[in-house]
Amino acid sequence: MSVVPVQQGGGAGGTSGLYDVLELVLDRGLVIDAFVRVSLVGIEILKIDVRVVVASVDTYLRFAEACNRLDLEAGPHKSAGLPELVGDVTESGARGKTKGALSGAAQTVSDALHQVRGRGEGQESGTRRSASRKKEESE
Amino acid sequence: MTTYVYGITRAGRQDLPEDLTGIGDPPLPVRTVTGSGLAAVVSDCPQELRPKRRDLIAHQQVVTEIGRRAPVLPMRFGSVSDSDDEVRDVLAEHAGRYEKQLEELAGRVEYNVKVVHREDAVLHRVLAEDAGLRTLAEANRASGGGSYEQRLRFGEMVAERVREREDRDAELVRETLAPLAEKTRTGPENAGCFLSLSFLVDESAARRLLTETGRLEKENPHVALSVHGPLPPYSFVE
Repeated sequence: MSVVPVQQGGGAGGTSGLYDVLELVLDRGLVIDAFVRVSLVGIEILKIDVRVVVASVDTYLRFAEACNRLDLEAGPHKSAGLPELVGDVTESGARGKTKGALSGAAQTVSDALHQVRGRGEGQESGTRRSASRKKEESE
Repeated sequence: MTTYVYGITRAGRQDLPEDLTGIGDPPLPVRTVTGSGLAAVVSDCPQELRPKRRDLIAHQQVVTEIGRRAPVLPMRFGSVSDSDDEVRDVLAEHAGRYEKQLEELAGRVEYNVKVVHREDAVLHRVLAEDAGLRTLAEANRASGGGSYEQRLRFGEMVAERVREREDRDAELVRETLAPLAEKTRTGPENAGCFLSLSFLVDESAARRLLTETGRLEKENPHVALSVHGPLPPYSFVE
């Protein structure tokens, strides 16, 4: 494949992939002692980076609820249901769906990618979900 | 007027578009400050610089523009110098170190891989692996979902298993992908995923990284990986 930048030029349509790596722009990169660094207090980007905390009562209850539902779908003696699992995930993966992933940010990433795709096939974005990549390769 | 610095490259090699703009509202014109064989790509700094998302993206766009033309040392967002002269002083003081890094990074790019679990799939997985959990789940369902306390206790056990899976899957991804890269660095923690890894790879090796990422996801359907790149080597400059 050709190596394409995450972001090509300054068009408004080319920035979606950048949202996924802004933490690198903030926390990585060259730091020079002689230069002043801007205060990061109140930074907007952190709003999309709030990770769902796994260790919380809400999560426990949600997991319990989800497991209950999963078992009902798979049948009482098929809790292990991995064959169905593979089918389910392949299907949802092909749609680029990450709903229910343990991360709000993942949903944001997915939404951003949908926006990119919605702008038409000609728009190159260097950000690839490997799920969609698999789909491309299988076609 | 202070000077905002985007990145450092070699003098005479950047050939940036004349109308390139950076941070600020309206966006400020980008120029170069040269000295000691190096060029700092800069703009004036707005009076009140705050880390707005639009400015973060502008910073990234300028660094990417440089990186498309020549090796670049990307600055962390928000690096402000008192004056162009001070920038020149810094270039002179650290010229050897910057030259060395530019040499090492030539032809290399960064890829960032973020890993999350697909919730339903990972719950399936942990139940499949733990007969005790399945028994509890059956018991809870038989009693209409169980009491609040029962659900809480069960959910906590499931969450513990999910965390263990995070550790195991993080190790799997790292062990699979790190050998493909020249360098690997763990990403910032606030990235909304249980694992963020940045890889420094030769441009020609990028395809293999993408292929292996796809294979990992295919073989581990409860794991979702997103690959971002090629990027300027933010995680591999110092």
